[in-house]
Amino acid sequence: MNNRLISVKNLVKYFPIRKGVFRTIAGWVKAVDDISFDIYEGETLGLVGESGCGKSTAALTMFRLEEPTSGEIIYQGENIARISKKKMRDYRKDLQMIFQDPYSSLNPRMKIKNIIAEGLVVHNLLDNKKRMKKVGEVLERVGISANSMDRFPHEFSGGQRQRIGIARALALDPKIIICDEAVSALDVSIRSQIINLFKELQKEFNLTYLFIAHDLSVIKFVSDRVAVMYLGKMVEIAPTKKFFQKTMHPYAQALVSAVPVPNPDYKRHRILLPGDVPSPVDPPKGCHFHPRCPKVMEICSKAEPEFIEIEEGHFVACHLY
Amino acid sequence: MVERKQKILEIKDLKTHFFTENGIAKAVDGVDFDIFQGETLGLVGESGCGKSVTAFSVVRLLDYPGKVVGGEVIFKGDDLLQKSEDQMRKIRGKEIGMIFQEPMTSLNPVLTIGFQISEVLKIHYKMGNQEARTKVIELLKQVGIPIPEQRFDEYPHQLSGGMRQRAMIAMALACNPSLLIADEPTTALDVTIQAQILELMKNLLKQFNSSLIMITHDLGVIAEIADRIAVMYAGKIVEHSDTRTIFFNPLHPYTFGLLTSIPRLDLEMEKLESIPGMVPDCLCFPTGCKFHPRCVFATEICQREEPELTGVEDGHLVRCWYVDKVREESKKIGFSRRLSLVE
Amino acid sequence: MNRIIKKLLSNTTSLIGLLLLLFFVVIAIFAPYIAPPLFDDPYQIVRMTWDIEPRPPGFPMADEMRVVFESLGKQVDRDKALFGTAQGGYDIFYGLIWGTRTAFRVGIITVVFSMLIGVISGSIAAYFGGWIDELLMRITDIFLSIPFLVAAMVLTTILGRGLDKVMVALIAFGWMGYARVIRGSILSTKQEIYIMAARALGVKDFRIILLHLLPNTIFPVLVQASMNIGSMVVTAAALSFLGVGAPLGYADWGQMVSFARNWIIGSPGNAGKYWYAVFFPGIFIVLFVLSWNLVGDTLRDILDPRLRGEL
Repeated sequence: MNNRLISVKNLVKYFPIRKGVFRTIAGWVKAVDDISFDIYEGETLGLVGESGCGKSTAALTMFRLEEPTSGEIIYQGENIARISKKKMRDYRKDLQMIFQDPYSSLNPRMKIKNIIAEGLVVHNLLDNKKRMKKVGEVLERVGISANSMDRFPHEFSGGQRQRIGIARALALDPKIIICDEAVSALDVSIRSQIINLFKELQKEFNLTYLFIAHDLSVIKFVSDRVAVMYLGKMVEIAPTKKFFQKTMHPYAQALVSAVPVPNPDYKRHRILLPGDVPSPVDPPKGCHFHPRCPKVMEICSKAEPEFIEIEEGHFVACHLY
Repeated sequence: MVERKQKILEIKDLKTHFFTENGIAKAVDGVDFDIFQGETLGLVGESGCGKSVTAFSVVRLLDYPGKVVGGEVIFKGDDLLQKSEDQMRKIRGKEIGMIFQEPMTSLNPVLTIGFQISEVLKIHYKMGNQEARTKVIELLKQVGIPIPEQRFDEYPHQLSGGMRQRAMIAMALACNPSLLIADEPTTALDVTIQAQILELMKNLLKQFNSSLIMITHDLGVIAEIADRIAVMYAGKIVEHSDTRTIFFNPLHPYTFGLLTSIPRLDLEMEKLESIPGMVPDCLCFPTGCKFHPRCVFATEICQREEPELTGVEDGHLVRCWYVDKVREESKKIGFSRRLSLVE
Repeated sequence: MNRIIKKLLSNTTSLIGLLLLLFFVVIAIFAPYIAPPLFDDPYQIVRMTWDIEPRPPGFPMADEMRVVFESLGKQVDRDKALFGTAQGGYDIFYGLIWGTRTAFRVGIITVVFSMLIGVISGSIAAYFGGWIDELLMRITDIFLSIPFLVAAMVLTTILGRGLDKVMVALIAFGWMGYARVIRGSILSTKQEIYIMAARALGVKDFRIILLHLLPNTIFPVLVQASMNIGSMVVTAAALSFLGVGAPLGYADWGQMVSFARNWIIGSPGNAGKYWYAVFFPGIFIVLFVLSWNLVGDTLRDILDPRLRGEL
């Protein structure tokens, strides 16, 4: 396997819940609760989980867009969780993000060229003329005519706006891009265009992706490895093929079995989970999944399972293994 | 085909236009279909194709500047478009139930769940408080809400998304309607919750023997629940057939394109196909066949003339000039073979 | 931009507002030609007579006044008081024409400065949040809890008489509304993903506020500001009426109204005898406020992105 590009160790992010007149802290939302994983150069790590599982928070915290409560994020030999905000700003051009909502991710009052050039301006890269040349290049690369750089976001469709968002990230020649539900809001016929674009760009620029999605079919298609989160915890990480052949964690199994498949003849055993995801304010003791788990054992409510490597590259946090 | 039961709803040449500042948007432009008792029809398409507008036109819940400008909506023998607003009110909720996408906003946040569901019963059946309460608790139990006696007095925000959607379903089913219209009922839900809700809906439909119009963009969801599927594009139905035919023998280039462009769990795929271009703006649809600018099979005739929705095989309707070409291509890809291999 | 102009011209009420505003702007610009000054200080209202009692419209300049002006080396071209004279023989027409300049000055300066203070404090409070927000908003609350007119009066009394003092008072107690409005809209805009995107690019806080937040949040404030120009002028006039505003004889609408104070009830048996002393200054103030309100309304319709359905 390639080099480790970024390592996340024991990352924790709690949000305080404040109550009362004096805004005292009444509790914590345990959005990300001690997760560790590595991302290797040139790969796509797919991160799945249902809403509220902490996958987006994990991504934002990894890039210091939320301040981590504790834990380490090692990038280029440095723990970027502990460096000053100012120093972090210099790293930002390597670490880019693409967001879900193509409608609210572009400033409606800025021209496309200024949106894309923004990163170059704040990092003081290139002179003005070269900047515009670069803007034109990345726009053309993502499939939008460079002639439209003087237009405003509302003149573009959802798919085109997502392309502009990609161009904005691309302009800085980043090393790693987090795609946070980047194709979820798009129409089916547009989604495949964007997914294909992501794949092409990866090859062309040797990009590394952390691809966050709730749709396992998309994850299966784009990722080299799959990571599953549940209630702030990482429950399983495995190479994609292995993951789908031999899903180990009961939650991951249920997730895979619940994905709707566009094939009326596709027969499978569907695992229907009872109840809802508990609140991350007060997660269940022991394994967070135990109240809904079809294979629950006595130990599950007492001890939290460790995240261990079962087979090469296949990590699971479950007492079954 | 199975023996056909009673026809519940028949839509003929429905046209709904939006009269906007920038011109007339022909959101629905001549849609025909019918639904039989106990059957589920899937209305599939991308945003802006007119699938939701079609449904809202049926129950006449269109907001300004939308207006039904033509066609008939025959529900149990009467044209709904000719009814007065008063008559419509008696049909909505009682004869036709609706389930919306966003369970957070479709329930009133300041009223209890129980109050909102019993209101329907009180309006349509003139039930008393106690009677309605008993009935609602029974309904909540039926849709799988635990401790319904307690949930009855709770407010929407105290329920999770999945539970709220269950409550919506209970409300829609309260008067035992013969037709349900569900507009993306599971889109806002998580996959595991979506699986629960779909399972629930399937069971309830059987139990109540209701028909369902299921509107969604998710081909996976539709494969699971629909008996028949109508694919919409730019305000028109472009292909209409039973579910297996749509998935295994698609004959419209758009359906074909959709099916090859979705990543799927049941196949190992190297590359996704994609439909070039984008969904046209309903203010300025292309001439001729509305799909032609994005279609790989398009020729000169497609630009000029719009094809009719014609029967190709038994009950398989397609709106395309080049059905044969698509069939060949479909065979080449081997839809049916590829899909049956998976099992 | 073209669309905005088109919209402004297509709507009757907004057209009326714009024309009224244009009317006042023309008056302000051409004041020296419409009402040529006779004192060295053009804001000193020309007096037509020494009489205390107001004189009706068309009253000719008294001979003794003419002598005074001619001895000052001024040519008296306009020797009739078109709108009559106010208490003390002050020419109402002259006072209103030059008062228009005063009105614009007071309105625009107070609104611009109070808007600046409000926008800066409000956006800092909203963007940084936490104790900064708490502190700034509590200060805002304290200022808001003091009745505006009373506070302004007290402050002007302390600072002394004069238009500049009035403006200081109006600014000191007029910025809180803007702070509130901008804070609210920044708090919601802050949630937009493009703000997160800007942070992800490494954009500095100051630049985010200036380039990303303010252009998307400033419009409700501008609308409020344009409407406030009118009300600021009314308040300044009220202060003048109460006797803490412009110095005696200074061309100011409030002063014109205050001149009428003792004559409003007319004379016994003839209640409307001095109608012109109130009517003309009153109508100027009303029309001025109205024009800004109409323009503000139109601005809101045009600038509100939600109404436009573009965002």
